[in-house]
Amino acid sequence: MPIHEKNLIEKEDLLEKEKAVVDGVDVSGRWNTFIRERLLSDYHEDFVEEVKSLPGGRTVTNCWQCGTCTSGCCLHTDYGLREFNPRYFIYLAQIGNVDELKKYGDVIWRCISCNKCVERCPKGVKVEEVVHNIDEVLRRRGVTEDTPGSRWDRTYLDNIMATGVLDELGLTLKYVRAEKPEDFTRGFMARMAVKIIRNGNIRTGPIRRRTRGWKKMKKVAEDILERDGYASAK
Amino acid sequence: MASPKILIIGGGPAGLSAAQDITDAGGEAILVEQEGFLGGTPKRLHYSLLAPDLKPVEEVLDPLIDSVQQSGARCMTGAKVESVNSGRNGFTVTISGGGKKVEEKVDAVVVATGFAHWDPHKKYEYAYGVYPDVIDFKDFEKMLSDGNIVRPSNGQVPRRVAWLLCVGSRDRQVGKFYCCRLGCAVSIKQAMEVRRINPAIDTYVYYMDIRTYGFWEDKLYWKSMEEFGVKYIRGRIGSINRGEDGRLIAMAEDTILQRPSEVPLDMVVLATGMEASEGTRETAAMLGLELEEHGFVKPLESDSMPVSTAVPGVFVCGTATGPKAIPDSITEGSAAAIKALNYVRKRSIKVQARA
Repeated sequence: MPIHEKNLIEKEDLLEKEKAVVDGVDVSGRWNTFIRERLLSDYHEDFVEEVKSLPGGRTVTNCWQCGTCTSGCCLHTDYGLREFNPRYFIYLAQIGNVDELKKYGDVIWRCISCNKCVERCPKGVKVEEVVHNIDEVLRRRGVTEDTPGSRWDRTYLDNIMATGVLDELGLTLKYVRAEKPEDFTRGFMARMAVKIIRNGNIRTGPIRRRTRGWKKMKKVAEDILERDGYASAK
Repeated sequence: MASPKILIIGGGPAGLSAAQDITDAGGEAILVEQEGFLGGTPKRLHYSLLAPDLKPVEEVLDPLIDSVQQSGARCMTGAKVESVNSGRNGFTVTISGGGKKVEEKVDAVVVATGFAHWDPHKKYEYAYGVYPDVIDFKDFEKMLSDGNIVRPSNGQVPRRVAWLLCVGSRDRQVGKFYCCRLGCAVSIKQAMEVRRINPAIDTYVYYMDIRTYGFWEDKLYWKSMEEFGVKYIRGRIGSINRGEDGRLIAMAEDTILQRPSEVPLDMVVLATGMEASEGTRETAAMLGLELEEHGFVKPLESDSMPVSTAVPGVFVCGTATGPKAIPDSITEGSAAAIKALNYVRKRSIKVQARA
């Protein structure tokens, strides 16, 4: 049978032996190609329930697959990361297709939270939060590993939980030291620091500010985090 | 001038509404219904809640039935119009019922003979009548009215129920080229009812398009997915098979995933479309009314004169002219009533002028 939609065949589903002989006939290479079946054999309802239970994940079931989010997405359209398709991630979450989501484990976390999708969604899906929650559930289930994105979230949370006020300088230094992103050279960092201090985008200096009464409030925040399943930031 | 006497054929929402308005306007209404009760198909098939306000059928139709019965309209249930002869001064009709025949002279006729659900047996690939867990709209409405959602095959509560839209509509293979207008709304309403009664049952709607026009969009479609978690799968099921454990396997293409889908389901509800009822076809033949290409009664002008017909003195309303919701049928019944009354009044003025 001729294959009509070759673009749908994924590399890992293509089974092919370089050398093969059957009944004395040489069937090496393309002659012995098999393609694994791409069958959807079940739905898994618990996945979407878990996404829904997280804060910000409630709107995951609002999605009707129009594609407004994806077509305006910074990553998908402007940056050209075509695999990043929030519409598709949401559908996979809705029907609980974890196997397919797993393939995008290294893509989903790359959302830069520009929130254009949230602005434009006609059904009021909080796309950015929902996609982050899908990523979170995948990690909680051990389907995907920690990513630079999730480590950033963790560093961010720890930072803000310390005093109740975000310390941008400490946050950046800690993250950059741990992750060592290639682009963040010393010169780049220094130039950036001058720029953002000058234009007022950074408000913290060497002295850390504190939220008044933070000790009491921290307890409340920790309780909420624990309730929502995030390991408390103690 | 004697009060106008008008025959109404059919005691469903449209016929009841026409009867009420004719008597309210001082006319004399004779309502002929073939069943032994008033209320039409919604009552006969024990519909549950009505879209979009999710009110029970009784709450919508019983006040109408009561007011018709108290209004002085002559309601003949279990009766049938045998023949209609048009003469110089209106129509002479023969009505049979209760073992006897009566003859009546009337000034005008309102046809409100309604629709029938399409018979899903004809779509053999869905195995309706073969697998007991494949049911249709009317079966499921009955189930909801009884408040007992169980798999017909084993009496157990289903884990997963799916709806398949457009069965016997929008299908060249069965000669139904039109949209039934209500299938989406009714399926969604049923799915919402299921989720409200038992949130542990997962509900899926297999669709090509969702056509919940007007206010049904947010009242039904949006609400179902946002508040009730009804899930929507784009793809028309090609056939229904039985799996090893007795569950149903819906063979479909998930067109969003772009892959074949063979997901086990416990029950499949076929969203059967509407077609002209036998009564509609018989009555149209008896009165010499033309049928339009889909088999329903053809109005004189479907855009500007939807309740008039090419036969003077005969008016038509409700689902006899095409798929329609209950509120639309009730509105059309009133429209047909006023058109019939005006027809009689104008004719009597003409007769008086001639005399």
